[in-house]
Amino acid sequence: MNVFSRGIRNAFRNSIRTFSIVLILGLIIGLSLAMLVARQAVSQKISSVESSVGNTVSISPAGVRGFSGGGNPLTATQIAPIQKLSHVTSVDESLSDRLTSSTTNLQSSIDAGSLGRRFAGNDGGQNIAQSGGFSGGNEGSATATFSPPVIVLGTTNPSDLSNTEGGGTFKLTSGKVFASTSTDNVAVIGSSLATKNNLQVGSTFTAYSTTITVLGIFDAGNTFSNSQLIMPLVTLQTLSGQAGDITSAVATVDSITNVDSVTTAIKNQLGSAADVTNAATQAQNTIAPLKNIQTISLYSLIGAVIAGAVIILLTMIMIVRERRREIGVIKAIGASNINIMVQFMTEAITLTFLGSIIGIGLGVVAGNPITKLLVTNSANSSAPTGAGRFGRAFGGITNSITSVHGTVGWSIILYGLGGALVIAILGSALASYFIAKVRPAEVMRAE
Amino acid sequence: MLQITNLKKVFKTAGDDVVAVNDVSLSVADGQFASIIGKSGSGKSTLLSLLGALDKPTSGHIIVGDKDITKMHDRALIQYRGRKIGFVFQSYNLVPNLTALENVMLPMEYAKLAKSERIKRATHLLDQVGLSADQHSRKPGKLSGGQQQRVAIARALANKPSLILADEPTGNLDSQTGTMIFKLLHELSRTENTTIVVVTHDLSISGKTDVTFTLRDGKLVKK
Repeated sequence: MNVFSRGIRNAFRNSIRTFSIVLILGLIIGLSLAMLVARQAVSQKISSVESSVGNTVSISPAGVRGFSGGGNPLTATQIAPIQKLSHVTSVDESLSDRLTSSTTNLQSSIDAGSLGRRFAGNDGGQNIAQSGGFSGGNEGSATATFSPPVIVLGTTNPSDLSNTEGGGTFKLTSGKVFASTSTDNVAVIGSSLATKNNLQVGSTFTAYSTTITVLGIFDAGNTFSNSQLIMPLVTLQTLSGQAGDITSAVATVDSITNVDSVTTAIKNQLGSAADVTNAATQAQNTIAPLKNIQTISLYSLIGAVIAGAVIILLTMIMIVRERRREIGVIKAIGASNINIMVQFMTEAITLTFLGSIIGIGLGVVAGNPITKLLVTNSANSSAPTGAGRFGRAFGGITNSITSVHGTVGWSIILYGLGGALVIAILGSALASYFIAKVRPAEVMRAE
Repeated sequence: MLQITNLKKVFKTAGDDVVAVNDVSLSVADGQFASIIGKSGSGKSTLLSLLGALDKPTSGHIIVGDKDITKMHDRALIQYRGRKIGFVFQSYNLVPNLTALENVMLPMEYAKLAKSERIKRATHLLDQVGLSADQHSRKPGKLSGGQQQRVAIARALANKPSLILADEPTGNLDSQTGTMIFKLLHELSRTENTTIVVVTHDLSISGKTDVTFTLRDGKLVKK
């Protein structure tokens, strides 16, 4: 038998006390782990939301969204200074237009359906006239010959669909994309549009009375984007007679933390000429409840560890006081302070280790339910407001933040055991001081 | 040889200083069985704790063999207590959750003896003090007072000390058991050539030791 085995055996000298302390420590360590699980799950969700939102700022002419609203386009001269703002790494410019039967030989790959005819009616007949074959502007009298226009996007970044109406992830299925500064009469077309018009890489079609060569075919994963075509910005500006005009720009910022400041700088730069929005601000508002949980769980974790340390501290002080004479005796027969401290520390570690086994069990069982409860309550109390493109997107994010799942992995278990060790060491510290203060002569005075 | 010269111990209290041991000088030869008697509060136990290096004197010298223990550092005192001194207390002071054998092995563990050696010697000592084999594995709560004191004596002998200090070793025992314990200590002083100093107020015991010192109010009044 040595100091360690005596320490372990001493932990069981008073079975009722041992049971009580282990149970309380188990609850505390279980709470700590649940908070740790919540914090980890919430942190992962925050990172996931932040990375999915991206660090971009959208710029569009004031009052215009896609093909709705009204106003004047922005110009390259207005956008150029934005490139020079600090934290802005790049600016992608684009111009959108609609090709009708009078400007292209392409046929839209989208069937008008009742919605298309209804929208055409709400457009006051403009599209109908352009597309041909449709007479009358009222939804009730719309005919089945109406064909939606083909949307063409002129851009300096053909691989990015994030700022288009349809969105989606650009995936080139054949051919290649054009250079950002290209002025060639080329296009990359959506897969649905290509199929509808029997186009392949190298095929040609007519737009704005000009022959355009298909450079590549892409798949965006949705029908709307796959019915579009993408051309070099300058080419579209020239062919459509909108030289220098820009209907949308996307500024990329070096870090998500700088998105707000860049947004403000762009607003100051463009004034009332543009609507400047970013996804990050709304994302931050949406994930604010999660950040609150992060803070709450951190404080709870620290509080629980301190509570555990205090319980062990008081227990060990009580035990040292009880065994004062015994400490005096073993000092009298040759034990050093270190011998005795190690023995008592082993006793404290044994108690906290047993507590941590119960705590880990509780953490495994209660970690996920507590995390879900915290997240659901916080998310419900601060749901975001507003609509628009970001609003719709963040409706989904708001729903997704409540789908946080906390799991107890090996790292959490190791944290639990590490925390228990910290609790035991902190809790034994003052007891060790009292042990050192016990003088062996006290064993004689107690006689 | 145990030699004490002008030993003094003063306890500071809120009201006044209490002189527990006042200018005591005495010597005990190797292998002698000495007793210190005196009334309660005469300073017997304080003198014993000074001899055992459990406490430090205010002034004076205690020379054990050729070393002055009053000049030793704390670490050296721990070694001195562990290897040169054996203690026997009135209420035995055995560790309650250790068996008789483990209690006797404890000082040897602190003296860094090998485990096999500790078991062998502890078993021999328990046999020597008259504890039967089945009692070796009993905890103190399962032993009588006399048996516990025998275990305490075996523990005191564990590291072959040159000096055994016993504070009222028969104080908690009936007269018959007390006599047996006294005889055991007396025998050990002869067989082990160990100096034994016993503090007692049992005059029947003090009369049978090799030398008796009487303390009154901290002063040595009779040798």
